[in-house]
Amino acid sequence: MSSKRTAAFPAEDATVSEGVIVPETAGRHRPATAASPGEPLLVVEDLRVQFTRGGRKINAVNGLSYELAPGSMLAIIGESGSGKSVSSRALMGLLPPTAKISGSVRFDGRDLLGLSEREMQSLRGGDIAMVFQDPARSLNPTMKIGAQITEAVRLHSDLDKKGAQARAVELLKLVRLPAAERRFHEYPHQLSGGMRQRVMIAIALAGEPRLLIADEATTALDVTTQAQIMELLVELQQRLGMAVIMISHDLGLAASYAQDVVVMYAGRAVEYAPTKVLFANVRMPYTHALLGAIPALDREPHSLFEVTPGQPPDLSALPKGCPFRPRCSNATDQCLEMPPFTEHDPEHWFACWHPVGSGTGKHTANGEQR
Amino acid sequence: MTATATPRVPVSRDPRVSPLSRLTASPVLRLVVKRLLMAIPIMLGVTVLTFWVLSLIPGNAAQQLLGPEATPEDIALLEQQLGLDKPGVVRYFDWLQGAVTGDLGNSLVSRQPVSEILSARLPVTAELVFLAFVVSLVLAVPVALLAAHKPGGVMDRISMMISTLGLSVANYVLALLLVLVFAVSLGWLPAIGYTPLEDGLWANLRGMILPSAAIGFPLFCYYTRFLRGDLVDQMQQEEYVTTARAKGVGSWAVLIKHAFRNSSFGLITIVGLNLGALIGGTVIIEQIFALPGIGQMLLQAINTRDFVVVQAAVVIFALVAVVANLVVDLLYAVLDPRIRYGSR
Ligand SMILES: Nc1ncnc2c1ncn2[C@@H]1O[C@H](COP(=O)(O)OP(=O)(O)OP(=O)(O)O)[C@@H](O)[C@H]1O
Ligand code: SF4
Ligand SMILES: [Mg+2]
Repeated sequence: MSSKRTAAFPAEDATVSEGVIVPETAGRHRPATAASPGEPLLVVEDLRVQFTRGGRKINAVNGLSYELAPGSMLAIIGESGSGKSVSSRALMGLLPPTAKISGSVRFDGRDLLGLSEREMQSLRGGDIAMVFQDPARSLNPTMKIGAQITEAVRLHSDLDKKGAQARAVELLKLVRLPAAERRFHEYPHQLSGGMRQRVMIAIALAGEPRLLIADEATTALDVTTQAQIMELLVELQQRLGMAVIMISHDLGLAASYAQDVVVMYAGRAVEYAPTKVLFANVRMPYTHALLGAIPALDREPHSLFEVTPGQPPDLSALPKGCPFRPRCSNATDQCLEMPPFTEHDPEHWFACWHPVGSGTGKHTANGEQR
Repeated sequence: MTATATPRVPVSRDPRVSPLSRLTASPVLRLVVKRLLMAIPIMLGVTVLTFWVLSLIPGNAAQQLLGPEATPEDIALLEQQLGLDKPGVVRYFDWLQGAVTGDLGNSLVSRQPVSEILSARLPVTAELVFLAFVVSLVLAVPVALLAAHKPGGVMDRISMMISTLGLSVANYVLALLLVLVFAVSLGWLPAIGYTPLEDGLWANLRGMILPSAAIGFPLFCYYTRFLRGDLVDQMQQEEYVTTARAKGVGSWAVLIKHAFRNSSFGLITIVGLNLGALIGGTVIIEQIFALPGIGQMLLQAINTRDFVVVQAAVVIFALVAVVANLVVDLLYAVLDPRIRYGSR
């Protein structure tokens, strides 16, 4: 079983890489993009998640599709409530039983949605791992961090207790936690937010995952720490050759790190392309609005800025047709019909009747309004 | 990154610190000293109050001892002998003076030293409370875990039904029901009476099963409900549970290793707070089952206006409540790492 691999990650050489991260392996392990040939690691197709709460149906994810090549980084971007967390938790079988999930999720050729709880359990923390947003709440406050990592190591290897503990210390060094041996015996409350998030990443790496999902892993941190954690994730992605799904509100963050970007709105993918392609030619008016909001330096990082007037739609009463229509300046009567999500340009998918730059809307090709 | 510089080594280990400041620097010792000092006004309060309430009840020990036929002269003579002719304030301070030096006085009725009465009766009540406590807790934990593993499942619904029932029945009603079924109808267990431990463990336990069940069952229901609710909250709302699941930890291990560990703090508090009410509950149960414990002693002493004995019982009850709260806080300090290292 792949989850029983025992080969260790390259051990951290602390003298070489204290402080500044030098991605010496960058380029050599240049991860494949969505465009590259070969089997994708993950294929999500028409994923739908519906909750029922108090008799009301909440359509949190409404037909989400994307692909992820082995070793590459994909960013999922969208406003709060757009279904980023729900869709990624659905992949790992972490949603409550009230969630109705449909569509298909193929990981390495296996259909994840059809797996039994037992099979899913060995996959969780093994081939697929996850790091969460709030490091203050994601660690068990009553357990030493060493024990929390060791637990994960033991679940996904044949190592005995001693070996697993040694491995856990190694992992703490790998994520550059200062004084790893001492921190091993400390409790989460004794660590800063950035250190806790490093511990979370160490836990995620314990099973040598091929896919790491970072659900706003840097949102709760201050700006400097945010950059350090992002650098760490990118470095680990390249060194360990794992694929990463990076979930964020921040299109700018995606632009700096990810190879591909999925923009989500009201539970749907509305635009999907390699980062370079996307930024050269943004087509979907919602992405365009997101982009327009980036240069404002005075805004708080990750703040829930209003990208465009209006509110995201009520997920239990979605509007007819394009969900962005009530806020869209390009909208016409045609938008009362749902625009299909298709590959309009090579590698460039989006769902819109009147995309930016097509001449039919008010947006122009170079991104200026009016 | 700002490191939260929490000293791993407690301050008190520093050799330069004098023993006295070491005492006040240790959070645990400070807690104990503070609580014991706080117990003093509590003790004074409850004893004054008891004394005052007793003085409001008509009649005194002399009248009770001599009965309705006694002449006023006889009563006056006995009152003088018992010191009941002195003003209440004087009597209270006489008693207090003895109590602080460890002399709880003699019973007004039997003339027996109170310390002797207590040493005979305390073990009975202690055994009753201990059995009720241990059994209810030992049963509540697995039942709550079973219920919380699948909220809304069969186990959950059965345990909720039983515990709702148990909480809505008064413990004396339950006691009578138990006697009716297990003593009268089935004849398995004695209905009343107490056999000392010296006469055999089984004989002793046989007599204690029904009374401790009458006290313990509502407790079991209460603990089960509380723990089940807290576990479900932890499982559904706490992000560290999601982390554990995302690691690949199985559902039982998440429940027991992660959620229960965090829920146990709440449970300890509940158990500690309960102890006071539990001791109160023994009064009526000891009466029903004719157990010669503190509760029965208290009722008899009130009937005979034996204020010396009543005071002793009240002091014991208050002491138990204070100590139970202290033990809860100490357990917290030992178990919860966030408190153990004195940082938050
Ligand atoms: N267990 C649940 N029951 C009902 N509704 C839920 C549940 N979990 C999530 N939702 C709803 O699903 C929608 C999508 O939530 P999700 O957490 O995926 O958003 P998000 O894109 O991750 O937002 P954020 O950026 O705030 O994290 C929200 O409207 C949320 O209220
Ligand atoms: S389909 Fe219409 S409403 Fe939706 S984004 Fe395109 S132009 Fe706007
Ligand atoms: Mg989210």
